[in-house]
Amino acid sequence: MTSLTYNHFFILSLIVFIIGCFGLFLNRRNMILILMCIEIILLAANINFVSASVFLNDINGQVFSIFILTIAAAEAAIGLAILVIYFRNKGEIDITQINQLKD
Amino acid sequence: MFLVGSFFLFAAFLITTCIFVIFSKNPVNSVLFLVLAFLNSTFLFILIGAEFVGIILAIVYIGAVAILFLFVVMMLDIQITTLMFNIKRYIPLALLFAGIILAEIIYLTVFKTSKENLDTFIRSKNNTEQIGDVLYTEYFIDFQLSGIVLLLAMIGAIVLTHVYRPTIKRQNIESQNSTTAQDRVKLVKINSGEGIKDD
Repeated sequence: MTSLTYNHFFILSLIVFIIGCFGLFLNRRNMILILMCIEIILLAANINFVSASVFLNDINGQVFSIFILTIAAAEAAIGLAILVIYFRNKGEIDITQINQLKD
Repeated sequence: MFLVGSFFLFAAFLITTCIFVIFSKNPVNSVLFLVLAFLNSTFLFILIGAEFVGIILAIVYIGAVAILFLFVVMMLDIQITTLMFNIKRYIPLALLFAGIILAEIIYLTVFKTSKENLDTFIRSKNNTEQIGDVLYTEYFIDFQLSGIVLLLAMIGAIVLTHVYRPTIKRQNIESQNSTTAQDRVKLVKINSGEGIKDD
């Protein structure tokens, strides 16, 4: 274990991914934390792509990482816009109240 | 040895800050810990030689996305709430995830030791040139499409959050362009001692 291998990065990205998933499951009130957990999950995917690209000496992984970054930025913008109009209409961002469309 | 030590330092920081993002009571603290997590992953990317993606991550995430989160958190009036931490409900899920991590670690460390080493590659170009060679030729269509996605996201965010207020007086460009000189000015001949008669 004296040199850095792909396994280190794979396990790290797995742990970060599972932390993000657990944030999604545990957090049941705050909608903005859900968006942050999605960002963490995308970060884990990025770590996996970039480290695989470096250790396999193939540049395509880093290009895909840039595309993931683009989509993540677009997703954050749209999600926060939805959050802002939801807050403007309801005055709160409690996600347990969102199911009012059913009534 | 320095590389491995730095990796473990930054990885430990990354995992700790990710945990703090989830368990902070105040959403502002969560956003700031998210910034720290992105910074640590930037360090990790630079450590293994992917400088371009690392710096882009710092610029895009820390400079744009996290600050956008911070603005939204400051705009909204969020009451500080604790997590609904019902541990009994999540024990099977936690055990499943723990089992997955354990299986991956055992598989990777015992059965499949990777032979790839960072020192064995000879790089003729630097990282940015390598990405540029591929991004503008092979992935040209995808590059343009990601630009369209960003444009759509921008238009969508503006359309969603834009508030139309009918009380605001605006310029009506169509009616301005369709007026003629006869609508606005008229020539009046004033006779002596009569003045102007109103129509």
